[in-house]
Amino acid sequence: MGANPLEIKLFGKTLKNPIIAASGTFGFGDCFNASFDPHVLGGICSKGLTLYGSSGNGGTRLQETPSGLLNSIGLENPGIESFVAHEYAIMRQCNDFVVVNLGGHCESDYVEGAKLLNEVDIDALELNISCPNVKNGGMAYGISPNDAAYITKAIKKVSRHPLIVKLSPNAPDVSAVAAACQDSGADAVSLVNTYLGMAVDIYKRKPVFERIYAGLSGPAIMPMALRLVHETAKRVSIPVIGLGGISSFEDAVAFMMVGADAVQIGTAIFADPTSIPKIIDNLNNFCASQGLKNISEIKGII
Amino acid sequence: MAVITENISVAENIRLMRVSGLKKGGCGQFYMIKPAETTDPLLGRPISLHDYDEISGVASFLYAVVGKGTRALSRLQSGMELTVHGPYGNGFKVFDSDAVLIGGGIGIAPLFMLAKDIGRRYPQKRVTAYLGFSSEPFMVDAFRDVCDDVFVNVGGYVTDDVDFSLDAVYYACGPTPMMKTAASKTNGARLYVSLENKMACGAGACLGCTCQTIAGNKRVCKDGPVFLSEEVFFDGR
Repeated sequence: MGANPLEIKLFGKTLKNPIIAASGTFGFGDCFNASFDPHVLGGICSKGLTLYGSSGNGGTRLQETPSGLLNSIGLENPGIESFVAHEYAIMRQCNDFVVVNLGGHCESDYVEGAKLLNEVDIDALELNISCPNVKNGGMAYGISPNDAAYITKAIKKVSRHPLIVKLSPNAPDVSAVAAACQDSGADAVSLVNTYLGMAVDIYKRKPVFERIYAGLSGPAIMPMALRLVHETAKRVSIPVIGLGGISSFEDAVAFMMVGADAVQIGTAIFADPTSIPKIIDNLNNFCASQGLKNISEIKGII
Repeated sequence: MAVITENISVAENIRLMRVSGLKKGGCGQFYMIKPAETTDPLLGRPISLHDYDEISGVASFLYAVVGKGTRALSRLQSGMELTVHGPYGNGFKVFDSDAVLIGGGIGIAPLFMLAKDIGRRYPQKRVTAYLGFSSEPFMVDAFRDVCDDVFVNVGGYVTDDVDFSLDAVYYACGPTPMMKTAASKTNGARLYVSLENKMACGAGACLGCTCQTIAGNKRVCKDGPVFLSEEVFFDGR
């Protein structure tokens, strides 16, 4: 048997391919078992967890846009204690590379949450400083390099897990935030979370969402996300995990060519769960047709 | 591969689509359906199973054309491919007892398969359907074939017609006010309601369709769409 051309290394661990299910789009790993085996993925990321859990936002939570999806879920989650006791085991059954996404409303939320997560053998912690859908905290830490550096240091101090910082595209200078995270000890960055957007119900004469603004994902944001990954990968030396509207193997390859070590796929799973195994098959075919021994040969060539 | 075998109009803005190549689903379950090979519309629309032909393996969907997604479906012709995933959700439970079905508008869609299922499994039991329409009725003759009694209300409140004093299990699907009214009139009889909400995934992942229940947040797609009415209509909800 020949070597697996999609195999990559991240934080000293081997992933069978660079495709990771994005936070908030894959539950705790087992939602799409009827459509495909989650073990085909290189890794899976949990729904964003907060220390005490949350029932999420009221009102409308979803609105489709042309090739995009606005969401205002508001980090509905069972809390970290529940995760440690229940959902972690489910995720572990679904994949060998388990990432936990950690959200929060203030520094102590993040720090206490990160401490509790030391109790489980996850493969990486993804620090969510980019959720646009919660009051206080959330995206607040992801907008300025100083704030991002501060929270990154605080988590690095208490967490025993490799740390990925998930960045917001709504920051004025995203690559500067990435560089600040790297300088503060982050082991990787992932980008982008959703873009702030808005929708109006013209008959009710009101915003569609109770929180007025919501997060835009899907193919509509892919070119903008690609540009930010390109810029960021040029500026940092830690691994970059690219995401934002990836819905085909071509998109995944493009993200890797501009510098991503791995990619996350989210909204495309909603549109068609079988897009995951299709993208992985097509990446294998791409390596064969392009004469690549390993997919990482194309990393950062642009 | 999901392929349309028929897609016809049965009333104004109401269409019946038959699709081959799907996994079999149960009554009250739904599929996420959209045209293939497009990102606009991006997501499948949750559409409940109206009927399933065991012999041919063809699934039927009765749907209303209400927005971009269903409008795109309405333009497709037989032979064209769909992107479909599912079946999803907890459908209707069927019991060895008489049944009363209350449908409003496009909400009658999943009740047809429910009536058929009850008739097949418990042929000695009575199935009574109350179907309400704001204007033009549709599919009434099909219901007459699978129910013992069918009452039709056009332009009024179908819940005004329903006899809630029967020793039967009640099922409702339709506009929320209709289901709430039914819930307020049951007098202790068991009533199952099928809820609807916007959904991105249909599979329990996105948490976009969460509804409040007596036991906290539940996902309409995965924990429902069928709930006992007292689980979801409480405290005046």
